[in-house]
Amino acid sequence: MLLARRNLFRDRTRFLLSVAGVATSIGLILLLAGYRLGVYRQASAYLDSTPGEVVVAERGIRDFLGTTSTLPAGAEEAVRQVPGVERVIPIVSQFVIFERHGRKDGFFLIGYEPTAGGGPWKLVEGREPAANDELVIDRTTARQHEIAPGDTLGVLDRTMRVVGLSDDTTFWAGSIAFARITTLESLLRAPGLRSFLLVTAAVDVTPGTLRDRLAVPGTEVLLKADVIANDRKLLARVYDAPIGLMVAIAFVVGVLVVGLVIYTATIERRREYGAVKAIGARNWTLYRIVAIQALIAAAVGTVVGVGLAFAAGTALMAWRPQFRVDIEPAAIGVVLASSLLMAILAALIPARSIARLEPAEVFRG
Amino acid sequence: MSATLLLARRNLARNRVRLVASVGGVALALSLTLALDAIYAGVANQLTTYIDRSGADVWVSQAGVRNLHMVASWLPATVTDEVRAVPGVAEATPILYSTDTIVAGDERAVAYVIGLPGGARMGGPWDVVDGADHVGRGEIIVDRGFAKKAGVSIGDTVTVLGGEARIVGLSAGTASLVNSVAFVSFDDFQAMRGGAPVVSYVLVKVAPGASPETVASAIEREVPDLTAQSAADFAAQERRLVMDMSADVISIMNVIGFVVGLAVVALTVYVATLARRREYGVLKALGARNTALYRVVLAQAVLSVALGFAVGLAFTGLLTLVVPQAGLGLELSIGGASLVKVGLFALVIAGLAAILPVRQVSSLDPAVVFRRGAVT
Repeated sequence: MLLARRNLFRDRTRFLLSVAGVATSIGLILLLAGYRLGVYRQASAYLDSTPGEVVVAERGIRDFLGTTSTLPAGAEEAVRQVPGVERVIPIVSQFVIFERHGRKDGFFLIGYEPTAGGGPWKLVEGREPAANDELVIDRTTARQHEIAPGDTLGVLDRTMRVVGLSDDTTFWAGSIAFARITTLESLLRAPGLRSFLLVTAAVDVTPGTLRDRLAVPGTEVLLKADVIANDRKLLARVYDAPIGLMVAIAFVVGVLVVGLVIYTATIERRREYGAVKAIGARNWTLYRIVAIQALIAAAVGTVVGVGLAFAAGTALMAWRPQFRVDIEPAAIGVVLASSLLMAILAALIPARSIARLEPAEVFRG
Repeated sequence: MSATLLLARRNLARNRVRLVASVGGVALALSLTLALDAIYAGVANQLTTYIDRSGADVWVSQAGVRNLHMVASWLPATVTDEVRAVPGVAEATPILYSTDTIVAGDERAVAYVIGLPGGARMGGPWDVVDGADHVGRGEIIVDRGFAKKAGVSIGDTVTVLGGEARIVGLSAGTASLVNSVAFVSFDDFQAMRGGAPVVSYVLVKVAPGASPETVASAIEREVPDLTAQSAADFAAQERRLVMDMSADVISIMNVIGFVVGLAVVALTVYVATLARRREYGVLKALGARNTALYRVVLAQAVLSVALGFAVGLAFTGLLTLVVPQAGLGLELSIGGASLVKVGLFALVIAGLAAILPVRQVSSLDPAVVFRRGAVT
């Protein structure tokens, strides 16, 4: 232990380098994991914040974000008549692209009836849309595109006035915007169009029972939690492979850096290791010295890396507020385990040269 | 300079583990950036496939709609005849379009569903590998990959647009990372939407010799409340959508790749210099100037980065060949601009990575070589 510590701290730059290597790697892994979680949380923000435990969609559609749902005419009335239905929020949703300053951006446009609910849950400025040419948009999007309440914005073939700003409404492909349901009906040239119904069960009915009761032809009835899970699956198809790839790269780089530093430290101390061998130390003792060095570097690096991830996450959210980074204790646990693994793998790199070391080397000129 | 290079090369090659770690690290970091660029370029290519293969010279959409991906466009059905009457228009075909889920057994997949009028000569499937190449009522043509995955074939029934349709044809080249394209009859699509007299896009073929841009402007001038774009402009808008909406993610990943590459190269060059302190001391004692030694260090950094760049490029090149075979619908495309950017990254990394060891060499005491014992 003493040997390991002395070996490691003798050259401060080298020690700092190995710590920096682990810290970069750990910080990167945590940041990516937090970013992924943030993407998922943002994706379910609307459903999480809108009342209702059961979602009614077009037959065959089981997600909220990925497709355009069109309910059969009369579905809303049919649902309202089912016993055990406490409240129905009808909405029309459509993804639209708008352009400001020569840059394209997306709105997940929600049409709702202010009396029924389903509108912005965190209105930070202005008011809800009262007329057909009015719009509530996300605060971050408004700031990025320099839009203030009272300004107008082209949406499809309409010019609409922004009357309010909402918060917590950004997501991976733009942000959520709100308009009256009649606005969406006329924008999409479909009078009476309904995309989804969010249904709340009466107190004496469980959501599962209500779901089974809502057998309206041409519709798909799901628990809200299942719809959220399906949206995540859709996102995972696009997001998980690149993020997984980057986590793997960060991990390999961490192992490489720590391994290299310890390897060099070992090579340079060959003489000393030889001497220790010559006075009777087993290979195993030497391995331990190397492994402890790797563990110390990994432990310090992990602490710094966690700090780095929080700092980078905060900086990222300040730079681009549409990104959300959620670093959870569980992720830190995983990272601790992976840094331990990094240290063990890194210690393997110099292990071979130690095993081959001749005790006699110490006596050579 | 050749002595410098020789020293640098020897210094690098002396320790194989270190060389592999250094080159591998740089290669990983650079391919991170390269592969990501290639993925986005590939996705952009896939997005425009339908536009490119539809056979239309001009796309007419609801005013303000300049894209196809994920959006909605709804025009009164009467627009088709008005467009047909515009000089320079040889042919006009209306289509209906929506992003929907197709269900076959347990398999459900997001699809762009196109409603095609009977006898449509534009906008239909361009490579039908099995079955019919046109659809009637109650029929659908789906992507071959989707059918294979779902275990369905011609004659089987799928759920689409809230109803059912029988597969009559399988098409190729109609799948991307997130969705495939499916074709149903115009009448089915319209009935599902409550029978409202609307169309999504009008596909236009221009008269021989007419320019698509000119005809597009003429359509916009003569028919109110719509947007008309040449197919080339429409495809360009679609590519811009991917780039604009992923620009921030790409720049974050670029920063990460850059930092990782920098850390790895700086460390390996530093360690290589450290291990050769004695030799550098000898050179100094023999009268070598600091600048000569700097050059050796810099040459080492440049060499390992250049090697790393080559390996990273080869690796990404390999990915572009292998990934499309994986059946994910993912396609990669390495662009010239991306190569230049990553090359510049690599150069900057080499320069920055050399700073630390250069300082070390400059503070080196030539007398170190005469001391006995290990060097720290």
